[in-house]
Amino acid sequence: MVDRWLRREDERLLTGRGRFVADLRVPGCLDAVFVRSEVAHGTLREADCSAAREVPGVAGAWSAADLPDLPPMPDAPGVEGREWPALVKDRVRYPGEALAVVLGDDRYRAEDGAARVRVRVDPLPAVVTAEEAAGDEVRLFEGRSNVALRGEAGRPIGDEVWERAAVVVESRYRQQLLMPSPMECRTILCVPEGERLTVWSGHQAPHRLRHDLAGLLDRPEESIRVVVPDTGGAFGSKSAVFPEFIAVAWLAVRLGRPVRWVEDRRESLLVATRGRGQDQQVRLAADADGRLLAYELTVEADVGAYPHLGVAFPMQTAWMATGPYTTPEVHATVRSVLTNTMITYPYRGAGRPEATSPLERTMDVLAKRLDLDPADLRRRNLIPPDRFPYRTPTGRTYDSGDHPAALDLALRTLGYHGWRAEQARRRADPAALPVGIGLSCYVERSGGERGSVHDYVGVEAGEDGTVVARCGAASSGQSHATVFPALVAETLGVEPARVRLIEGDTDELPGGVGSFGSRSAQIDGAGLQHAATLLIEEARERAARMWDLPIEETAWSDGVVHPVRGTAAMGLSELVKRTGPLRIDERYEADMAFPFGAHAAVVEVDPDLGTVRVLQIVAVDDCGRALDPAVVRGQQFGSIVQGLGQALYEGVPFGDDGVPLLGYGLLDYLLPTYAEIPPIDLEETRTPTPRTPLGAKGAGESGCIGTPPAIVNAVADALRLDHPERLQMPLSPDVVWRAAA
Amino acid sequence: MKITLSVNDDAYPLDVEPRRVLADALRDDCGLTGTHLGCEQGVCGACTVLVDGEAVRSCLMLAVQCDGVPIRTVEGLAGPGGEPHPLQRAFSAERGLQCGFCTPGFLMLAAGALERDPALGEEEVAALVGSNLCRCTGYEPIRRAITRAARDHQKGQDGRHLSA
Repeated sequence: MVDRWLRREDERLLTGRGRFVADLRVPGCLDAVFVRSEVAHGTLREADCSAAREVPGVAGAWSAADLPDLPPMPDAPGVEGREWPALVKDRVRYPGEALAVVLGDDRYRAEDGAARVRVRVDPLPAVVTAEEAAGDEVRLFEGRSNVALRGEAGRPIGDEVWERAAVVVESRYRQQLLMPSPMECRTILCVPEGERLTVWSGHQAPHRLRHDLAGLLDRPEESIRVVVPDTGGAFGSKSAVFPEFIAVAWLAVRLGRPVRWVEDRRESLLVATRGRGQDQQVRLAADADGRLLAYELTVEADVGAYPHLGVAFPMQTAWMATGPYTTPEVHATVRSVLTNTMITYPYRGAGRPEATSPLERTMDVLAKRLDLDPADLRRRNLIPPDRFPYRTPTGRTYDSGDHPAALDLALRTLGYHGWRAEQARRRADPAALPVGIGLSCYVERSGGERGSVHDYVGVEAGEDGTVVARCGAASSGQSHATVFPALVAETLGVEPARVRLIEGDTDELPGGVGSFGSRSAQIDGAGLQHAATLLIEEARERAARMWDLPIEETAWSDGVVHPVRGTAAMGLSELVKRTGPLRIDERYEADMAFPFGAHAAVVEVDPDLGTVRVLQIVAVDDCGRALDPAVVRGQQFGSIVQGLGQALYEGVPFGDDGVPLLGYGLLDYLLPTYAEIPPIDLEETRTPTPRTPLGAKGAGESGCIGTPPAIVNAVADALRLDHPERLQMPLSPDVVWRAAA
Repeated sequence: MKITLSVNDDAYPLDVEPRRVLADALRDDCGLTGTHLGCEQGVCGACTVLVDGEAVRSCLMLAVQCDGVPIRTVEGLAGPGGEPHPLQRAFSAERGLQCGFCTPGFLMLAAGALERDPALGEEEVAALVGSNLCRCTGYEPIRRAITRAARDHQKGQDGRHLSA
């Protein structure tokens, strides 16, 4: 019955035996509920928990004043001095910020208690856009500017470049705030036992969480065990420590009792990290033949209330501003501005969608100005395959790529000329709804930045003939338990069933970095392959000693070491029995890689209603070697649908008071449903990264990067907009109707 | 209030507050944590279970409304001998799950529909898939899985007819 389940994760998840943090039964566990600010910005006058403490079943209730030693969030490097308290001390800076925490015997008691906490916040004017906030008329921190970071990539472009260009296109775009929205919100369960603290969390980076908590609680890292059980999606939003985590861990230790926080959707929509959040201005210059001369991108990022990793993240956009083109001069500047909203943070794509979208939208405008086919314009400028490694003006060195092949495959798969003919036919028919065709070529970065492009990997052979693989990644739905053992098994030449994976438990691993930035296959995968190769070498050395042969006289095949000549052979089990434990532990490091591809979309627009019907999406993605092609296709498809969400449905609108207008939860924040899924054709090209022997690049983020501009370009094309600035995502009927008018 | 929840043919005598929602009673009082809570406002459908054969959002129903009414959750989906339900096999075969958090809701929604009408048509399947939220798969694999299960289900029934 081995074949019944395609993935090792499937049986438990399909039979109700998955174990997510909320599913763990812990005797005496208290549930945490946070009392949250209903205003976006204000002065805290009162947070009185005394009535809450009288509620039956409430174990305790605390405001910041009741917990003077409660540590604040760890400072992000380079942006010190603007403290983010775990509970508001005197100033509320984002709606939903926690004013008090109530612990109860169960969620009902804790909610009862929370309802009795008396809070009073005097509102201050709230600023939610970068433009408003950058003026510093309303300051989030007294005496400090709201501008938290300035940065640039590439060199400033001289006036003469713009003057001598045949065409210069200027435009502005908004990359709206998005909620990553994993189906399981954030979770943490802290169980103190003697000197140890066990932390269960649906998390992408267990070792980072352990490190942060150890610092915050001022205790040795070894005294904390972080375990990541089944995790219900993450998409970038579960890789940090959060204010609520600090309160929960602190109280668990202080009370000596297990404490759990399971974020609900209502609070998630207020206080979970959000992605994107950039106002962008671009200038793109070309000569009369459509050869790109210069590109300038100015980013004003609204990064939320407190300096954090999200402050520096717009630099990803700046570094990737060059895109897949040979543009000789590229300059990107970034200003990150604090605003009265929960922080921005990596969300699937994280900086690369924000780089791809303005460039690809502007390419279509340029094509129109030059009266060129948008595919031809791109083809004239794509980096040719023989130019790799390619160093961009914005400081990236792309490892490998065949962009023209990806574009051509996308056009072929779409039936590009057929759709152009259909478009012409409809344009000649006044009764027909217009169709538009949109293209988008992208290049992304996967693996991480220098300094974090490594992970712990290990392979161990047991006496019983089984093999244990270990790595510092943490799965939140990416099938690691299936894919990594298969890779190790293939390398060793043994049956996959003999190999199992251990990850997501700091007690079981000497170290680890985690899963984010599309790094698991690229770094951990390549590392596990490397570790398995080292294990083979070690096995051959031991066998050579045993048989008194030079190592060159030994060979490895199908999980067995044998002499090159002769019939003796020894499997791993026998070898371990004869020579002792056989275990490889490595810190594997590689360089970042650059997946790429081309997406195309066809839409039909009803200009009278403003509705967009996506007729077809084609995605050609190149992630080098795909460890498990079906798993990669699953990632591609899901990612495209999230990209569709950004293009057409998702966004965070604010009221004048700075509070998000998401009062009806997921009825206001529109995640795509099946009713919105168009026909999607997935294709791939395979250009391995030369930076690891495995050749895998990241695969999970392509759809969020490539799809949104393809769809928006298609809508602009359908409406024949000369200057599509009025089309800002999400393209709701209201936005499209106004643009068409 | 004293009630008895009858879940997957097991009786759970409970003493619950009238306000307790069914999902919490199933998860915390019956220990059946396969039913997941994704939004607690009836939108996402992760908590879907069958109450008297009808698919309901268990976050929007009170436990006391279900006193004595047969309830089925994902833990009761497999056959009596532990034989997987055609839907469970099909979800794996079609890669209809990634993180698996929303999966029990889709399974129970589809199980209820298949039991009512084993010959689910394309439109019915599309309406079912469109009822719940998934953030990982993009839904198409879920649609394929339910379609495949409907086919297998029918084949299985035909098979039983033939052998009878």
